Amino acid sequence: MKNKLKVLRAMHNLTQEQLADRIGVSRQTVIAIESDKYLPSLGLAFKIANLFKVKVEDIFIHEGKEDDNEN
Amino acid sequence: MDRKKYKQLRVIVTFFVSAIVSLAVIRDGYLLAATGILTGMVFMVLVRAKAKIRTDERESTVQEKAARMTYAIFAPTIGIAAFLLLLPSKGGISVFSKGEWLFVESLGMIFAYLTLFLITIYAISYHFFNKKFGGGGNEE
Repeated sequence: MKNKLKVLRAMHNLTQEQLADRIGVSRQTVIAIESDKYLPSLGLAFKIANLFKVKVEDIFIHEGKEDDNEN
Repeated sequence: MDRKKYKQLRVIVTFFVSAIVSLAVIRDGYLLAATGILTGMVFMVLVRAKAKIRTDERESTVQEKAARMTYAIFAPTIGIAAFLLLLPSKGGISVFSKGEWLFVESLGMIFAYLTLFLITIYAISYHFFNKKFGGGGNEE
């Protein structure tokens, strides 16, 4: 699973801290999502999508292989 | 209070509680140690509730994985340890059934009960969460 969170955040001129505050998580979580180390829950994914006013699938791109948080 | 301040406060409280417990243990004041730990815990719970600090979902995932790994390591370890400690006394090896070696059997019994307790807690919590998250339902 890849995501465009970093690009969207830059487009909206938000820092990781600001984004974390807006979606109610820690900055570490934003960093982990951006670096594809953590896959957010469906609720958090929708929260992010709503914040940037885009669809969830526009941010998170499934690449076909099993790539969840089991690693 | 934000998450950063909460974390700083947690470090400070942990430091003070550790200092109190260390002093209490040195002076054989175990009641003071218990009181110190309890006070620290209650204080942090109240601060957390008042400041409305929510557990981050990634943190929860980390905690779940750590708990699962702890169980996967701890349960077999104490189970096997209990078996190995109880084996000599049941096997009729005389050196383990008298004098200073008696503690081996007692320790084995403690470990065995701990293992059973751990498995029981796991089974109950598994059953509870399985029900909570819709497992075993007959609804269509």
